[in-house]
Amino acid sequence: MDLVALINEQIISLELSAESKEAAIKIMADKLLESGFLSDRDKYVEAVLVREQKGSTGVGFEIAIPHGKSAGVKRSALAIAKLNEPIDWQSLDDRPVKMFFLIAVPQEQAGDEHLKILSSLSRKLIHEEFRNQLLAAKTPTEIIDIIKTI
Amino acid sequence: MKKLLAVTGCATGIAHTYMAAEAIQKAAKEKNVEIKVETRGASGTENKFTEEEINEAHAIIIAADTDVDAGRFAGKNVINVGVAEGIKNAHGLIAKALAMNEIAKKDYAEEVNKLKQERSANMSGAYKHLLNGVSYMLPLVVAGGLLIAISFIFGIKAFDPSDPEYNRIAEALMTIGGGSAFALMVPVLAGFIAFSIAEKPGLAPGLVGGMLASSTGAGFLGGIIAGFLAGYVTKWLKENIKVSKNFEGIKSILILPFLATLIVGLLMTFVIGTPVKGIMDGLTDWLTGMSSTNAVFLGLLLGAMMAFDMGGPVNKVAYTFAVGLLASNVFEPMAAVMAAGMTPPLGLWLATVLAPKKYTIDEREAGKAASVLGISFITEGAIPFAAADPLRVIPSIMVGSAVTGGLSMLFGATLRAPHGGIFVLPIPNAVGNVLMYALAIIIGTVVTAIVVNTLKKSKE
Repeated sequence: MDLVALINEQIISLELSAESKEAAIKIMADKLLESGFLSDRDKYVEAVLVREQKGSTGVGFEIAIPHGKSAGVKRSALAIAKLNEPIDWQSLDDRPVKMFFLIAVPQEQAGDEHLKILSSLSRKLIHEEFRNQLLAAKTPTEIIDIIKTI
Repeated sequence: MKKLLAVTGCATGIAHTYMAAEAIQKAAKEKNVEIKVETRGASGTENKFTEEEINEAHAIIIAADTDVDAGRFAGKNVINVGVAEGIKNAHGLIAKALAMNEIAKKDYAEEVNKLKQERSANMSGAYKHLLNGVSYMLPLVVAGGLLIAISFIFGIKAFDPSDPEYNRIAEALMTIGGGSAFALMVPVLAGFIAFSIAEKPGLAPGLVGGMLASSTGAGFLGGIIAGFLAGYVTKWLKENIKVSKNFEGIKSILILPFLATLIVGLLMTFVIGTPVKGIMDGLTDWLTGMSSTNAVFLGLLLGAMMAFDMGGPVNKVAYTFAVGLLASNVFEPMAAVMAAGMTPPLGLWLATVLAPKKYTIDEREAGKAASVLGISFITEGAIPFAAADPLRVIPSIMVGSAVTGGLSMLFGATLRAPHGGIFVLPIPNAVGNVLMYALAIIIGTVVTAIVVNTLKKSKE
């Protein structure tokens, strides 16, 4: 699985501060842009927020998986952020979010690979041990190592 | 063990779909419940349910915001929630699914019964009147035929006082069965045909007309004519004789029966009786004197007719023909007809047993019900199969039934009672040449099964 193409240390933030989920998403989207994953940051953010309105991506367990499929995305990406202060995300279990995974997918998919990675990640997030490992990780490298076990 | 199914799907198809799937799978594992989860995500549908899995599932959980093709689950227990609920409340959903009531398995005998009733309700016109007469006549023929058969236990002529084998009981049985029950057969046929057409005022002229048909030797054909005659004459009189309200009672108790019976009686005696007797005599002579080739041919034809519409009009014509002939002491067609009416359901049951993979679970269940209906001579038991696959099933059952009918005539089997299926076989003398008769039925059943299975593709 081509995990390396999806994630790198620049798009992992272990000490993010933001006042709202929109702000948090925008900050991470900027990082995606800097790393060359996006062609149009605003378009992408809009897609994410639209999706967010349809149904909160705060799936509970203090985790959120905001995602957007957009023409503003060049390549699939998985950005990860741990928040200094938990943010309200209108989650399914009403708990604030400590960690979120921002997913970017281009409008037309050339292949399924990244989708499989993302769906595997989603599945893993249901399991408590996986979530705890991620929450305990101290460096971006550790995070990437944990993700590699998917 | 209750098996569950779940299908998840969300708008983007990347995350929630799989999270709900995983949550449900985890919850099921913790509860020790067998479950299969289909996901409808951005990369397509994974783990799609087979028809067999849907059939066997106790309940289906839909945790989706998108279309999941729920038409597949018609008739099953279904829980329908959004995908978020699947993530949040997987345990609750599984508990709810398990708690749902078992959906009652289809009762095939009941369905066939309903079909028969619908058919009766939809019949119209002359056909309906004829069948009404036949349905009132049948119990007489059954009782009479079987009692005669039993009297023969004492000896073929044991009812005859001048015969060395004479026996008082045998004589009584013959009087009851032949002298009384059988004697009422044609009058009742005619009477209730007329009743169906003209209601109560038609009964008397119909009964009398039928009585005259018997006495003039016009037989069951004369009885049918008498019944329709009496019915329509009475109806016409009813509609065309106008009386004031005070005389309505007199009209129905005196005027109509008197005039109708007079008219029908005179017509039967002077006009209809003799020619129809000629026809019946000719028919009876032809049937009893038939060469065995022609007999077999008749058997093939009657057999095919019995299977063609399984209890419908064509079947009933063949059947009524055979029953009517009992009144003229011709017993071979009756045997052929009953055997040929048993092989369609029996053959289809055997087919599901020999090649289960060619049939759905529902059809295999229907096969079991059909076997019971088949041995009871309820040809309608084949209808569910024919409805599902007419181009393969109907020719197959026609071939099987034709073979049975032909064999029955070839073996010279006779049957004195118009119904009873397998249950009349052990009654002494009810069936002539009973072992070969049973063989004819078995052969026809096997032929039906082989032909239909050859025509059917595997269900894989």
